[in-house]
Amino acid sequence: MAALTTSRTPGVTDRRRPATRRRLPVWHAFWILAAAAYFIVPIVSLVQFSFGGRVDGHSAGFHWYATVFDDPNFGSSFWLSVQIAIETVVLSIVLLVPTAFWIHLRLPRLRPVMDFVSVLPFVVPPIVLIVGLIPFLQPFTFIYSRPEVLDFIYVVFAMPFLYRSLDAGLRAINLQTLAEASANCGGSTWSTLIRVVVPNLRSAIIGGSFLTVAIAMGEFTISSLLSFNTFPVYIFNIGQSTSNEAAALAVISLLLTWGLMIALYLVGRGGRTTAQIAATR
Amino acid sequence: MARVELRGLRKRFGGGVVALDHLQLDVASGEFVSLLGPSGCGKTTALRIVAGFETPDEGEVLVDGVDVLGLPASRRNMGMVFQSYSLFPNMTAKANVAYPLRIRRRPRAERESRATDLLGLVGLARQVDRYPHQLSGGQQQRVALARALAHEPAVLLLDEPLSALDAKVRVQLREEVRRIQLELGITTIYVTHDQEEALSISDRVAVLSEGRAEQVGTPSEIYNRPRTPFVASFVGTVNQLDAVVVSAAEGTVSCGDRVMTVDGDLSEHPAGSEVAVYLRPEDVELVSEGAADRDASPGKVRSLTFLGPVTRVGVDCGLGQLVADVASDVALRLGVGDPVAVVVEPGRLRTLANPQGT
Repeated sequence: MAALTTSRTPGVTDRRRPATRRRLPVWHAFWILAAAAYFIVPIVSLVQFSFGGRVDGHSAGFHWYATVFDDPNFGSSFWLSVQIAIETVVLSIVLLVPTAFWIHLRLPRLRPVMDFVSVLPFVVPPIVLIVGLIPFLQPFTFIYSRPEVLDFIYVVFAMPFLYRSLDAGLRAINLQTLAEASANCGGSTWSTLIRVVVPNLRSAIIGGSFLTVAIAMGEFTISSLLSFNTFPVYIFNIGQSTSNEAAALAVISLLLTWGLMIALYLVGRGGRTTAQIAATR
Repeated sequence: MARVELRGLRKRFGGGVVALDHLQLDVASGEFVSLLGPSGCGKTTALRIVAGFETPDEGEVLVDGVDVLGLPASRRNMGMVFQSYSLFPNMTAKANVAYPLRIRRRPRAERESRATDLLGLVGLARQVDRYPHQLSGGQQQRVALARALAHEPAVLLLDEPLSALDAKVRVQLREEVRRIQLELGITTIYVTHDQEEALSISDRVAVLSEGRAEQVGTPSEIYNRPRTPFVASFVGTVNQLDAVVVSAAEGTVSCGDRVMTVDGDLSEHPAGSEVAVYLRPEDVELVSEGAADRDASPGKVRSLTFLGPVTRVGVDCGLGQLVADVASDVALRLGVGDPVAVVVEPGRLRTLANPQGT
């Protein structure tokens, strides 16, 4: 990646134009292929493996996929993960958007504090976090025994991504003036947030939500420790017994996660168009 | 329409910086008043206090006799145009203008027609569906002006709305601001550091310095009858000369090698006391050295600065160092070091206006 970036630096290409013009494409191609291979080879191997092995003396074909779809636990664990992911996204947005807005507008002195707090989930390993959380959550039996408890934990994990994204989005708009203009037009703080700030933070919110979904869909350690049969836990359990089936499952999970993200993107984009039309009226 | 009164406004920021120091200002209903001053004189702070974005440490802001300081900005019924572009980027021009009406839950048809009318008023009838990023700086400020007027505010506030625009657009737009203000008859407070802007569009100008109103008056009073040295030097270019009073009754002073009549009240200055007198560059006449029939002070050209229609000529003469504005075609005949004679018509030399009179 580093080499890719360097070779693209305009200064470098400009200074030795005649020499680099002949040599660079080769290096470009090499590094692009190397980087691509890094991502593609495992996926190709995974796909290949999901069709591999022999069943009753025949090549497997779609056998492992069929097995996956026949297992009722597949659907239930997948939907559980989707449900948790959606709840986490909604909860994160509801908590963090007003917080980031308020800190930027009224409490800018707290910004360094929030910057620090927002990276804590990176610093504290999940295993440490969960060891600390279990005794804390145990007394709250009504939530501790339900998978929704994961929503609250994932909100913490996803906070760095969503908060950072919102922070960058808020820095990019002229928040102070926009808020004053809105107040001058008669808007309350609430209507400023909903009608002016949120529409301008749409891409930051969507970007942060992507990462939140990815985290919630892929988190294994905590759901496994708390014995919830989420999708990653299910994949792991299958992998213990039949590795080809686990590969098929992983391929399906990749496709589904991508699908979910595309859906989220389309919803976000669709929402924007609607908002713009509404605003024009 | 509303009358606005600023009563003894005081504001001190953190670090002890005094932004406003007992500022007094009355703006009559339908009047256009500019707050003019250098940066840091408190003019923007005063406007932001009126708008409700800052709270003064002391004083009152009365609109039609009612103190509005207790009201949040959103309930003061004022329209404001900001210095930086403040349009909502996610909304079209029309939606921006309709925003104050949307907040007030007015019916859609009314919002539509009012937004369209206002955009027509500011000359953007064909740009109603453009987004802010598709508009030029001048167009954006026009939309901002239309938005500030949408909810029929009692007072219009403008905070250096033209300072980010280029010179030509600035002149064009300031004339339109004035035209619209006169058309609607709306009470307006306009903040600017540009004296030409303030003098050209205001009913009255308040010159601010260090948080106080140094002088409030019509543009012509401010320019021709400055009351403080600050106003005299800040508004326009001025030659300041040291003079000694010869006769207060006759209004004569001695200045350099001349005794001249002064326009202004010398009653507070006894004979023999020092007094500062002022002379605008356009009131200094240069004649050729031979024209001895007039009471001329001989001198030499020190510098020439071409300003377009006039050339500013620096002269060393018996009165001291002066600058004179001379028609550029006349100045073509002059060169640095040339001998000239300086003539000051009686009454052109001024003292500061008496702070009590006008």
